[in-house]
Amino acid sequence: MLNNKIHSLLVIIIIFLIWEISFHLLSLKWYLLPPPSMIMSAIFDNALLLFISLLTTLKIAILALIISVIISTAFAIIFYFSKFVETSLTPITVILQVTPIIAIAPLISIWVDNSEIATLICAFLVAFFPLLANTVAGLKSTEKNHLELVSLYGANKYQILRFVVIPNALPYFLSGLKISSGLALIGAIVGEFVIGPTAGHSGLAYRIIESGYQLDIPKMFGAVFLISLSGIMLFNIIRLISYLILRKWHTSYQPTD
Amino acid sequence: MGLRILSEIERQKNIDDKQNAIIAQLYGVSKKFKSAISKSLNNINLEVYQEDFLSILGSSGCGKTTILKMMCGLIKPTEGKINWPTSNFQNSPENPANLSFVFQEPNLLPWMNVYDNIKLPLKIYKENSYKADEEIYDIIKLVGLKGFEEYYPRQLSGGMSMRVSIARALVTQPKVLLMDEPFSALDETRRFDLSQEILKIKKEKKLTVVYVTHSIYESVFLSNRIYVMQPNPGKIFEEFDFSNQEKTEDYRFTPQFFEQTKIVSDSLKRAQNAE
Repeated sequence: MLNNKIHSLLVIIIIFLIWEISFHLLSLKWYLLPPPSMIMSAIFDNALLLFISLLTTLKIAILALIISVIISTAFAIIFYFSKFVETSLTPITVILQVTPIIAIAPLISIWVDNSEIATLICAFLVAFFPLLANTVAGLKSTEKNHLELVSLYGANKYQILRFVVIPNALPYFLSGLKISSGLALIGAIVGEFVIGPTAGHSGLAYRIIESGYQLDIPKMFGAVFLISLSGIMLFNIIRLISYLILRKWHTSYQPTD
Repeated sequence: MGLRILSEIERQKNIDDKQNAIIAQLYGVSKKFKSAISKSLNNINLEVYQEDFLSILGSSGCGKTTILKMMCGLIKPTEGKINWPTSNFQNSPENPANLSFVFQEPNLLPWMNVYDNIKLPLKIYKENSYKADEEIYDIIKLVGLKGFEEYYPRQLSGGMSMRVSIARALVTQPKVLLMDEPFSALDETRRFDLSQEILKIKKEKKLTVVYVTHSIYESVFLSNRIYVMQPNPGKIFEEFDFSNQEKTEDYRFTPQFFEQTKIVSDSLKRAQNAE
């Protein structure tokens, strides 16, 4: 496990090294492809600015994720109990999912005055669906044997949910959360691109646009680098949470030897 | 004389004689599943007497499990009815613990450890009971799982999982135990040890056991009554009574045991070809 992590880190370091060396050997133009060293120094030069932007973007992504968790869980449980509600609402959620967020974002920015809330809505709309779909699938995949077992002892609906259905859906929910964590970040970035910066607070998307205007390509790369970094961070936090919850019983965390 | 095939007249006489000991009776029960073309069970008549060790013996797919699941209310019969003369043996909202079921697979919840799996039935119907702890440890000791309380199902072997499953069925101190081929996944030695254990517990707690199996040896060794079933659609073919048979641990090595096994085995063979 640890070995694997060292391997993947090594690969990344080697890629950066090749990048750096070939920049100097092939004398590439720094305003087209700046070397990693230049990107790093651009990040340090604009540390405070980029850091505040990073926080702004992360705040929106995490908030969107939290709202998605609450709403999708509530919907999934309602769907579980009512086939009628499920069949009536599923098409709407699918429509929201298949319509590109970049096409809806201008509308949202017209309807919602506050650009921070508008961006949040964009991020939420993207993150919501995979969570809902996975949680619904998880709730439905409860084993018949398990249901028979608890109903044999006269469990009520709430007990069935608590002892069997929800624990069974947890792994599905958590893998949905992994997908949604990345999507929430994408939604937050795309939203800001289209809607524009929040008054006083600008996210990383705005830093990219701004660097484009200023032809400050290393800073642009720096912003992109921070976006990926925060995506990786979010993903790993979710992975850690899912490890902590499932490690004891789920087969995916079974020691192999 | 050890074993007898009961004729219809003898069966009727038995019912009349032991009327008070009947705890469950199936009258003309049939079952047709919605997805099936024909009936799975046709006109089942059977009685369970108090403190019976009743085996239902038949080939796979003849509806043995369905009978058991109908007895505990998990499946509703299409025709006929299941009568429980007193409410003392049936599960009801007031008395959810009269009857327990041991499934064919251990059917443990993977997200709970051994202790919580065994405690589950208690958690369901007496939500806030803490004094049950001692009873649970007694049961864990009884099935030989002491020291494994914190283990999760994925860490257990097949035999241990089955013992957890039996402990879970016993923890409610049921009066009737329905068992659906509980040992089919175990090796010969474990099978014998566990069935020996079940016999001991049955005697101690005066349990009534209804035991579904496809093993002729098991049914002859364990039970005092056997219903042999015929398939397509599932029907009772013959009924055996061993009530006078003394059953010691060595019974399974006596010539008498082999003789009786042969009789039951013949009956099962005839049942396969019966119309």
